[in-house]
Amino acid sequence: MGFHIVKRDNCPIWKKCCFYLAAVVIALLLGALLLVSLGVDPIAYYTRMFTMGTIGNKIAYKVYINYLKEFVPLALTSVALSLAFKMRFWNIGGEGQFILGAIAAAFVAFQAGPVLPNGVTLLLMCLAAMVTAGLYGLFVAALKVRFGTNETLMTLMLNYVALYILIFIGETKAEWNFFLDEASVRPVFASFSKIVSFPTIPMGGKFSLNICVILTVLLGVLVFIYLKYTKHGYEIAVVGDSAGTARYAGMKVNAIVLRTVFLSAALIGLAAAFKVGTAGILSTSITDDVGWTGIIVAWLSQLNTVVIFVVSALICVLHYGSTVAAATFSQVDSSFANMLQGVILFLVLAADFYTRFRVVPFKKGGKDNGNG
Amino acid sequence: MEMDKLGVLTSFIHNIVVFNIPLLYGTVGEIVVEKSGSLNLGVEGIMAVGAIFGYICGCYANSLGVGIAVAFMAGALCGLLFAALTVSLQANQNITGLTLTTFGLGVYFFVGNGLKATGWPAMGDYANIKNGFADVAIPVLSDIPLIGHGLFNHNVLVYLGIVIAIAMWWYLNRTTPGLKLRAVGENPGAADSVGINVKRMKYLHICLGCGIMGIGGYYMGLNMSGSFNSSCWINGYGWIAVALVIFANWNPALAIAGTFVFGFFNTLRVSGSSLAMAFPEALGWLAAVPTQLYQALPFVITAIVLVASSVRSKQGSGLPASLGVNYFREER
Amino acid sequence: MAQQYAIELKGITKTFGSVVANKNVELNVKPGEILALLGENGSGKTTLMNMLSGIYKPDSGQIFVDGKQVSIDSPEDAKKLGIGMVHQHFKLVDVFSAADNIWMGKEKAGLTLKKDRYAQIEAMAKKFGFEIDPRKKVYNMSVSEKQTLEIIKVLYYGARIIILDEPTAVLTVQEIDKLFRVLRRMKDEGHSIIIITHKLNEVMDISDRVAILRKGEYITTVDTADTNEQALTEWMVGHKVDLNIDRPTMDKTRPLLELRDVSIRNDEGAVAISDVNFYIRGGEILGVAGIAGCGQKELCEAIAGLRPIEKGQMIHKGDNIVGLSPRAILEKGISMSFIPEDRLGMGLAPSMSITDNMILKKYAETRGPFVNRKIGRTDAEEVIRDLEVVTPSADTPVRRLSGGNVQKVLLGREIKAGPNVIITAYPVRGLDINSSYTIYNILNEQKLSGVGVLFVGEDLDVMIALCDKIMVLCHGKVMGVVHAHKTTKEELGLMMTGALDLTNKYEDKPAGIARDTRFGEQNEGEEA
Repeated sequence: MGFHIVKRDNCPIWKKCCFYLAAVVIALLLGALLLVSLGVDPIAYYTRMFTMGTIGNKIAYKVYINYLKEFVPLALTSVALSLAFKMRFWNIGGEGQFILGAIAAAFVAFQAGPVLPNGVTLLLMCLAAMVTAGLYGLFVAALKVRFGTNETLMTLMLNYVALYILIFIGETKAEWNFFLDEASVRPVFASFSKIVSFPTIPMGGKFSLNICVILTVLLGVLVFIYLKYTKHGYEIAVVGDSAGTARYAGMKVNAIVLRTVFLSAALIGLAAAFKVGTAGILSTSITDDVGWTGIIVAWLSQLNTVVIFVVSALICVLHYGSTVAAATFSQVDSSFANMLQGVILFLVLAADFYTRFRVVPFKKGGKDNGNG
Repeated sequence: MEMDKLGVLTSFIHNIVVFNIPLLYGTVGEIVVEKSGSLNLGVEGIMAVGAIFGYICGCYANSLGVGIAVAFMAGALCGLLFAALTVSLQANQNITGLTLTTFGLGVYFFVGNGLKATGWPAMGDYANIKNGFADVAIPVLSDIPLIGHGLFNHNVLVYLGIVIAIAMWWYLNRTTPGLKLRAVGENPGAADSVGINVKRMKYLHICLGCGIMGIGGYYMGLNMSGSFNSSCWINGYGWIAVALVIFANWNPALAIAGTFVFGFFNTLRVSGSSLAMAFPEALGWLAAVPTQLYQALPFVITAIVLVASSVRSKQGSGLPASLGVNYFREER
Repeated sequence: MAQQYAIELKGITKTFGSVVANKNVELNVKPGEILALLGENGSGKTTLMNMLSGIYKPDSGQIFVDGKQVSIDSPEDAKKLGIGMVHQHFKLVDVFSAADNIWMGKEKAGLTLKKDRYAQIEAMAKKFGFEIDPRKKVYNMSVSEKQTLEIIKVLYYGARIIILDEPTAVLTVQEIDKLFRVLRRMKDEGHSIIIITHKLNEVMDISDRVAILRKGEYITTVDTADTNEQALTEWMVGHKVDLNIDRPTMDKTRPLLELRDVSIRNDEGAVAISDVNFYIRGGEILGVAGIAGCGQKELCEAIAGLRPIEKGQMIHKGDNIVGLSPRAILEKGISMSFIPEDRLGMGLAPSMSITDNMILKKYAETRGPFVNRKIGRTDAEEVIRDLEVVTPSADTPVRRLSGGNVQKVLLGREIKAGPNVIITAYPVRGLDINSSYTIYNILNEQKLSGVGVLFVGEDLDVMIALCDKIMVLCHGKVMGVVHAHKTTKEELGLMMTGALDLTNKYEDKPAGIARDTRFGEQNEGEEA
């Protein structure tokens, strides 16, 4: 027996969903096996993880607030990346763009915060982060357009350049370095949460909703509209589908690439501004790997903005929940989440194959090829 | 005093080699993988998996050889996973690689933290590992002043790494299977049409390359004396290796030189201040250079190399033409 | 016992999604003969041969080699069975030398690469009557050198059954002679050769037997000696249908589009179109005939502004349009609907819906930042209705339509844009009779409304019936422009092969230059 692979013309959505769901279920079962081998009740563990320990928790509102702090940057970064990916531009520089955006936002917070009104400072922070991150992305896009430089490898390199700039700022005690806490002898980042911070809206009880959450959802809607209904979005889709056709239709392909990558990177910068403006402090691990995870989220969601929000929310549950669960089940390390996430993704990648291809068995020797 | 200065220089050269040979393993492994046309961004995770399993099994068996073999096999298994997903199941290589990194680091910490709770094997307790990783001087050569100790007095994994790099260079450029492999990476359709089994070539070399990365990870663990803490042994070396592949123009022999260049900056970061103290007039300024500059330089240089090679005509570049593109025979 | 065939195919069927490429095809080749596989473009010749070379796997049917049933699952299997194919699109590694391109497929080549492989390859090539530089890199080779290398490669692997996919399309006359000499010698040595072509003169010249495919179906196999070009043509295109295509006459207007001394290069940098002159008037259809790959594609792309014009002038209603952007040319009302070989490469975004593809060229015309899909939807529904496009809905991605429906969508959109010049290439390729007539009617309607049409076609009968004038290209040169009602297929055929040059037929009027040309009006601006 041999197998022969044939491309599928079309796979109905319900079938796709079944494939993906099966992948997730199998991954969870594999995880359960591992948990059982460690002597942990998988149902108890998964319950704790997926509820993030909110059941019977008196301070559950804190869980929600912290959860949303993780959700906002991831969702916005994934949405931003989907813009570039839609055009088949492999921007894996989310990390670097996020970092530069964060630095720019913190710069404004320290410099303008004490003098300008809170609202103006926040606006300037967002703008500075967007422009800085946007230019960082634009640089790679320009090289790609002009010389055909491989954008995947280039953005990858620039991630690390940005990271070491951030570490340099974080570890260098100096007169000029206003990012650091003057009171501390060792280099530690200074907090500006007292100077400026994104406002929150009380929602009754102790829970209050950060304005960034609302803005992120709003931006998600805007990007959805942008991609689906505007001329720009239409151009992105055509360029991504067939650059030859785009040129033939009279589109300025290079300009579209530059514009879209700038926008993509700028939105990542904005995500960084939200993160920094909420945390009130820089950190060398400010990105929380959203640049990497965002790529996976965007791809997994097949660049559909709505699905991106759902997938980001789930991945955050996985991450946040496993930290919570690790506190209860000491036998299970919090890195279980990364492993589980990996297994889920591997299986989803495998499931994806079956949505795109069909496997047709045939007998070696061809004695029985149908018509007989 | 004069001797002391010489000693600083010698140990500087020695350190370049000792601390950076894992880069060579990672780079050579990734070159083998990329020459088959697959861009594997999972080097960091694969090295971590190779490191943790190699270290633990090596210690339990109290044998360096077992450690190396297990590290290779653990890496190769990761490669098998990558190959199954990208070659057979046509999954996106970038996504698969990134996932492999997340997964690999997850496995690393899961196993490591888990063992730490029950009893972590300390390298000092295993004489064969400890002694096996000790420096072995090459007779005569190691007596050369200045560079003798620096270059020719190292542990066996250093020598093994150099041997693997040279062997892979020979394999890729001077053998028939190497020629077939390059054909697969350049134009799988052409390779397929002359009867080269593209799938088998890809599977084999992805596993081989990832296995080599695994040994590099094991080296990192041994070099940290097996002390397990919150930061991963690999600590970004996997990503530098991805950069170094470009810097070395996909040539394993050039990767040795590239390792020295990258390693030079890396070592300056660690030992720059001792150099500055030994030679205050000539190198005193080194103390003022921020260490992050050294860390960022490899990536900056690689970025420049990347741009330069895209400006130049493609013909001198070792970049495999179909890197990152999955091959499906019946594509129309 | 029936005759032992070198290769025998029985009931081969191959589908790609909803497209049937081969349907129940029968084929056999005797040892030591040259079989020509004849058929129009899109008749499934290459697909069929790809199943012999292991690229595709048939959905059903059987393959016999030397009387034994075999299963060819990969090119490796094909090679082991002694089947070698020279593909139309070369399968070569650009950065390798000639020798290495051959060496990489050699069995038992030893572990190490030795320097003497160059000498070995060179000596072997000489044996077959080829001169090559074994150290020359493929990226430095000309098209014909690459093809020679491909042929040597197959011979070197010791193929007994050799398939050549349109091998002569890129060769010069002398090279073709040389190739045919080699093929005859191979045949004398007992090799079986299958040559894919649609050039009848070559079929008559080289083959022993001819197998004919039409629209993926097997028609017949005949001995070359017992047939003639006329009969072959009928088999190839189907029974002599009465081509009842209207050719309404129109009052001529002054030239809309004129090309003067235009030269264009192809992707490889070779001259694809050299010093071409022609003009199109409003209300006429100008046909362009020629063997495939004679510069038709490059000509169309250059007119649309997608390919630089090396030399010469192109004026539209008196305005020079050389160097204008594709959009500017579009805005002048010159529309191109090019049907490339893969049908979806240019002009359509395959994963997008019919609606979205309808607005491809005019999405920017509406005001505001939003795309107006209402126009697209109306257009899509009209095109679907008027041209009888078979589709589940206007939201179906174009990729999922069958070939003919894709072509209708493409042409439908071009006409909706209300152009004054339509460039259309192979608009009826792969279409059934009814759909073809729909397309002819559309073109005639456009002509009657005063549009100038450039029709790049394949079927000479259709062109003679539909076009007002026919320009014949041969290797990028114009062989003459003839009136369709005065010419014959034979005359056109001679011109296509370069045997007849009518460019100097009328001493007082050079071919392709209008008496009432608008050249020299560039500064007067556009007329109303």
